[in-house]
Amino acid sequence: MAAQTQKPAPLERAAQGVPIIEIEGLGKTFAIDTGPVVALESVDLTIRKGEFVSFVGPSGCGKSTLLNMVAGLLPASGGQAMLNGDVIEEPSRKVGFMFQTAVLLPWRTVEQNVLMPAEVFGTKNEATRQKARKVLEAVGLGDFTDAYPRQLSGGMQQRVSLARTLTYEPDVLLMDEPFGALDEFTREAMNLELMRITQAAGITVLFVTHNISEAVFMADRVVIMTPRPGKVSGVIDIDFPRPRVIEQMQSQKFTDLIFQVRGILGHGQDNSS
Amino acid sequence: MAKITAVEAEPVKTVSPYTNPNQELRYKLYTIGILLAIVAAWEMAPRLGLVSPIILPSFSAVIGALITLLQQDFFLRHFTVTLTEIVIGFILGTAIGLSIGIALAVWPTAKRIAYPLVVGFQAIPKIVFAPLFIAWFGFGMSSKVVMAVVISFFPVLINTLVGLESVPEDARRLMRSIKATPLQTFRKVSLPHALPVIFAGIKAALTFAVIGAIVGEFVGASEGLGYLVELYKNQLRIDRVFAVIVILATIGAGGYFLLEWLDRKLIFWRDDSESK
Repeated sequence: MAAQTQKPAPLERAAQGVPIIEIEGLGKTFAIDTGPVVALESVDLTIRKGEFVSFVGPSGCGKSTLLNMVAGLLPASGGQAMLNGDVIEEPSRKVGFMFQTAVLLPWRTVEQNVLMPAEVFGTKNEATRQKARKVLEAVGLGDFTDAYPRQLSGGMQQRVSLARTLTYEPDVLLMDEPFGALDEFTREAMNLELMRITQAAGITVLFVTHNISEAVFMADRVVIMTPRPGKVSGVIDIDFPRPRVIEQMQSQKFTDLIFQVRGILGHGQDNSS
Repeated sequence: MAKITAVEAEPVKTVSPYTNPNQELRYKLYTIGILLAIVAAWEMAPRLGLVSPIILPSFSAVIGALITLLQQDFFLRHFTVTLTEIVIGFILGTAIGLSIGIALAVWPTAKRIAYPLVVGFQAIPKIVFAPLFIAWFGFGMSSKVVMAVVISFFPVLINTLVGLESVPEDARRLMRSIKATPLQTFRKVSLPHALPVIFAGIKAALTFAVIGAIVGEFVGASEGLGYLVELYKNQLRIDRVFAVIVILATIGAGGYFLLEWLDRKLIFWRDDSESK
C-alpha cells in the first residue's frame, strides 16, 4: 500500500481509464560492499493511457530507478511492471526515453540524429524522413535540420532529443529530468511545448523531476517519493484544465497543491531519518 | 509559423576562433623569430670559434652537406629503406593496436585477463629488444619493422581502449532503450566517439615508428638513414650527420602533418567534443 490515490482520478486527460502501465509491488535492492541497499521499496501504481504523471522527490528517492525499470533498462528485484498487459523484461520501441543531457551525436546533423533510431530499427526510408522533418518542424527546428549539435543552444539540443524520440512514435515517453540542465526560462518554454505535443499525440508521459512546482504544473497526477529507503509516499491528483497556462501557477489552488506535496515530502523524510 | 517564433529567441552559437586574427599573427611571428634566433646562433657559434666546426658545423655547412647528400646515388636507396620500415611498422603497429584495443574494450573478460600483461609489457623499455630482434630477424628490414611495430602499437592500443570506454553512460542507455545491437552501438556511437582519442594515439604511433626504425638501424644494419648517421659519425662528418637528421625530421613532420590533415577531415566535429 505504498502508493495510494487519495481521491478518485478525474480522468481529465486520460482516455477513460485504459491502463497502459501497471506497476505491481515493483522494488529494487542493490547489493553493495556494505550489504543490500533498498533503492526502491515496493511500488504499486497504474498509469492510464494518455496520462501525464510527474514523479517528484529529492535525490535518492528512487525515482530514476523506477523509470529505468519501467524502461526495461534495469531488472526489478521484486514485483513487476507491465506495458499494455505484458511484463516489461527488456526495452521496448514503444517506449521512448529522454535523459537530462540531449545525448546527440556531434558528428551527425540534426536530421541525422533524429533518424538514428530509424537506422537502428531498419526503417529509415522516405516516409520516416518526412516524419522526422514534420516532427522537427513541430518542435520549432524546421530551419535547423542540417545544423550540427554544436551550433545549437542547450534548449535546442533538447528539442532535437525530443524530436528523435517522437519520430519513432512511442506510446510512452519516459523523461528523467530532461530539462534539468536548462535555464529557468528555457525550461518553462520547453515544458509548455512538451505538454502541447504529447497531449496532441496522446502520448503517456512519466516525468521525473525534483522541481515541485514543475511537477504540479505539468501533471495529471503527481507521485511523491521520499528517500532512505526510496518509496512512494503519496499520489496527488491535479485537476487543472488543459491546456495548462502559466497563469494557473498564480492561483491559490496551485499554492495549496504545492504545500500538499511539500507536506508529504516532509513527512516521508521525518519518518525515515 | 507561430511555433517557430518561440524558438527564434534562442541564439545560434557561432563557431568562431576565440583569439583575434591579429594576435594569432603576432604569435606566429614570435615562433618564427625564435626559430631564426636559434639558426643565427647555430651559424655564428662555429664561425666565431666558440665551438669547433667538427663538433658543431655551421648551419650553412649543414645545408651544403644536405644538398650534396641529396645528389648522391646511394642516398635514395637508404632513404627508401628507412621510409619503408617506418611506413610498414607504423601501419602494422596501428592495426595491431587498434585490434587489441577494440578486443579488450568490447570483451571485458579479455580485458581482465590481458590488461595487466599489456601494462607490464609497456613497463619494459622496449629499446632493449633491438639487439634481440637483430639476432632473431637478421640485419635486413624485418628486424627494424618489428622494432617499429613493438614500440608504436601501444599508444594506439591504450587510446583505443580509453576512447571506447569513455562513451557517456547516457549514450549507452539511449542505444539500449532503442534495442540497438552491440554492433550497431559500436559503429554508430562508440567508434566515432572514440575516434579523436584514437587519432591522438595514431599520431604518437608515427613518432614511435620513426624511433623504432632508426634505433633498429643503429644497432645493426647495412643500409638506411640510421645506418648513415652511424657511418658519418664514425667518419667524423658531423655536417652529414646533421643533414641526415634534417631528412629524418622532415619524414617525421611530413607524416605528422599528413595525419593532422586526415584528422581534421575525419573528425570535423572535434571542437564540440572537447568543449563538452
